[in-house]
Amino acid sequence: MGHIVLEDVVKRFGETEVIPPLNLTIEEGEFAVFVGPSGCGKSTLLRIIAGLEDTTAGKVIIDGQDVTEVSPSKRGLAMVFQSYALYPHMTVRKNIAFPMRMAGMSEDEQNTRIAAAAKSLNLTDYLDRKPGQLSGGQRQRVAIGRAIVREPSAFLFDEPLSNLDAALRVGMRLEISEMHKRLKTTMIYVTHDQVEAMTMADRIVVLQAGVIEQVGSPLDLYHTPQNIFVAGFIGSPKMNLIEGSEAAKFGAKTIGIRPEHISVATTPTNGAWKGTVGVAEHLGSDTFIHIHGVEGCDPLTVRAAGDVAVKHGDTVYLTPDAAVIHKFGDDGLRM
Amino acid sequence: MSNRTLPRLLQAPAVILLLVWMIVPLGFTLFFSFIRYVLNSLNRPEWTSPSIDNWRGFGNYEYVLNAKDFWFAMQNSVFIVGSILFLTVILGVLIAVLINKAFPGQGIVRVLLISPFFIMPAVNAVLWINMILDPVLGLNGLAIDGINNVVASLQDAPLVGWFFSLWTKFEPISFRSSQNSAYAVIMMVTWQWTPFAVLIFMTSLQSEDEQQKEAAILDGASKWAMFRFLTLPHLGRPMAIVVMIQAIFHLSLYAEIEIVSRGNGNKNLPYLIGEFANNNIGAASATGIFAVILANIIAIFLLRMVGKTLME
Amino acid sequence: MAIVAQNSKFGTIGRPVFAWVVALIFFFPIFWLVFTSFKTDADAVKPEFLFFFTPTLDNYLNMTENYDYWRFATNSVITSVLATALALVVGVPAAYAMAFNPTKRTKDVLMWMLSTKMLPAAAVLYPMTFLAKSLGIYDTHFVIILVLTLVNLPIAIWMLFTYFKEIPKDIIEAGQMDGVNTWGEIKEILIPLAWGGIASTGLLTFIFCWNEAYWTVRLTTTEASTLSALIEGNRAPEGLFFGRLSAVSAAAVGPIIVLGWFCQKQLVQGLTFGAVK
Repeated sequence: MGHIVLEDVVKRFGETEVIPPLNLTIEEGEFAVFVGPSGCGKSTLLRIIAGLEDTTAGKVIIDGQDVTEVSPSKRGLAMVFQSYALYPHMTVRKNIAFPMRMAGMSEDEQNTRIAAAAKSLNLTDYLDRKPGQLSGGQRQRVAIGRAIVREPSAFLFDEPLSNLDAALRVGMRLEISEMHKRLKTTMIYVTHDQVEAMTMADRIVVLQAGVIEQVGSPLDLYHTPQNIFVAGFIGSPKMNLIEGSEAAKFGAKTIGIRPEHISVATTPTNGAWKGTVGVAEHLGSDTFIHIHGVEGCDPLTVRAAGDVAVKHGDTVYLTPDAAVIHKFGDDGLRM
Repeated sequence: MSNRTLPRLLQAPAVILLLVWMIVPLGFTLFFSFIRYVLNSLNRPEWTSPSIDNWRGFGNYEYVLNAKDFWFAMQNSVFIVGSILFLTVILGVLIAVLINKAFPGQGIVRVLLISPFFIMPAVNAVLWINMILDPVLGLNGLAIDGINNVVASLQDAPLVGWFFSLWTKFEPISFRSSQNSAYAVIMMVTWQWTPFAVLIFMTSLQSEDEQQKEAAILDGASKWAMFRFLTLPHLGRPMAIVVMIQAIFHLSLYAEIEIVSRGNGNKNLPYLIGEFANNNIGAASATGIFAVILANIIAIFLLRMVGKTLME
Repeated sequence: MAIVAQNSKFGTIGRPVFAWVVALIFFFPIFWLVFTSFKTDADAVKPEFLFFFTPTLDNYLNMTENYDYWRFATNSVITSVLATALALVVGVPAAYAMAFNPTKRTKDVLMWMLSTKMLPAAAVLYPMTFLAKSLGIYDTHFVIILVLTLVNLPIAIWMLFTYFKEIPKDIIEAGQMDGVNTWGEIKEILIPLAWGGIASTGLLTFIFCWNEAYWTVRLTTTEASTLSALIEGNRAPEGLFFGRLSAVSAAAVGPIIVLGWFCQKQLVQGLTFGAVK
């Protein structure tokens, strides 16, 4: 249950090809995250799996069955939308019951499942309210409840947390992760937020312009990004990408060094890069220092300890950790 | 994709109905406009049934173009529609600006103002031409009568009597007479459609950018300048739409013209078609094609304008 | 233009007074119609009874006798109600298809539908009469219902389309994921959600049907004649029957004016095809 294969899937809107031929397999029980900048085709891909968008060419196979021409309702998937997409004219109870009612499930069974879902999502007290009377977080829980009760073979999430405020987002992230651990159902989750991707995924699919840039576990992507795009996209603050003579020293077109892999000194050090502090962001636990004047990368970001005392205008000397420098060739690929 | 075919097919009934509605009668009209076809003819009984054998080419069109009534009807159509448009837009803007700001009873004023729009055209015409404009028994006649009576009584008064003796009797205007019947139609239709213009302009005024106005006040703009440079341009599009939609409706005015004077001295194209259709179907059809062309010219502008906003 | 250039004194006192005067002037003819309807035919044309008279309900009580009012009113109700229902039955699925399953040609189809509304009725007057007579449906409810439906269908579809467009597409898609079929989408989601819009479309279509004065007069003689035809048939009483004519006219427009008050806001959307909001 929940094994999804995309075979040479192509999607065109008129003349524009948003997804060139694409192949991808999502394993049973996996938490897969599609991540990429907006407009990269990740939502389109999810909607193709859901059946809400038709493929121009290629096949969608779920649990060994070709469902390319099967309507969304018959694919056995459940989806949680960014806008929650609750039925505003129905109570929470009716919203959650809706897919079961459509499937012709008995009233008793419906009630049992509603009660169970409401309990696990803390919605029991709100069952008779309309969606308009709920907060954003509660609405999202209802949307999840509506998905759970169907016992789908896979859950599809389309940027479900982006309409929530920051604090709520972290909480819901944990809840969804826990839900996955408990249900062990395949989940496909679309987001533009690489932090969500890193924290939730078993496997991340990085997309750009409809093309899969890399597929791998969060730490795979962090440690061995296959190209400059993935290197720059995964990790926060972003990896410093340095071009020019400094890169040439390593025999590469571009070198990448993560902010946490640079040490900062205020006294001259042998072979270090010299720069001037632009802004130092003190987060308490860490300090993000943005440095100007380093050749080939402006500004260069360094993640230092929380108690580093640097301020605007200070001259600093930077030493990268040579062991973790990422080297990229002329084609932008990892060397 | 297969599962979207059925939903898309759901528009088929509407499309087919409208397609038949458009093509079939218009096809007949086009055909009739090229043949000799009359309802009664003692001399040429073969013309009384529609047949391709009676082909007349553009003969009906020539006949219509040479008919004095046709050009009169064209002019009259333009005169009536143009006057109504002018009056409704001016009155519409003034009244909309007047009642746009909140004041006691605004809701009731709105309801009173919009009411004429829902009157059926036949009642509108009957009401105006009889109860209001009738030169003897309507308010028009009664009012003139009243003034004449007052003047007459003053003529006997001391001191000023000689002055009022100089006055001649007022004559009430007869709107049923041929020269004035078009004015009656313009009056009653303007009364009915000004509320429409008011309603649309008010709706549009409500979407006016308040911050823009506040900025203008800070910039030292006078109220007149604000009206001239902010409000009027804002109303430009709604005005164009009001003009276009009314043009479409008023080009086919019929009931009012029929009721006011049975077309005496006041025909428009639809009325002329109706007259031709009493016997000469060929000429009626040719006139109909002219009316279609006229309506299409206006419709193209309207469709462009509506299409742009609606489909984003 | 002086209206906007006035000082604030005008704004607080002058504006409301002026607005009320304008509103009363516009409402006056309707008031006068109703007012006259309570006069006897004889009183209605006497200047001495212009404002002061003994009101009577006779004109309303005798409507059946004088004009056979209820027969015409029944025809109006039957044709308007059924034409409205038919327009909605055909229009709702069409607007649904265009709002939620658009194709490249949807825009053109909508524009074309609107253009049929602009076809001058007079241009197809004779063919319609001819067709109705040959098909044996002249002067029947059927032909009036059909024509009223067709005449109002484009506006109904446009109005419905603009309402449906406001429903988030996500909700329809959620329904698809939840297992509804096309019929379910319309019945379970679209109609409950757009109920207000569908109702106002129906109300406005009904008003247009009721007031239609071209086809209802031209395609009927006696059997299926509506109130429009009744009034037009009694158009020129030359002052003889002002009282009774006022009563029957008031009875013909009264219900519609009241309905109109309820949907004045939707009227803008309907009549401008959604272009002014």
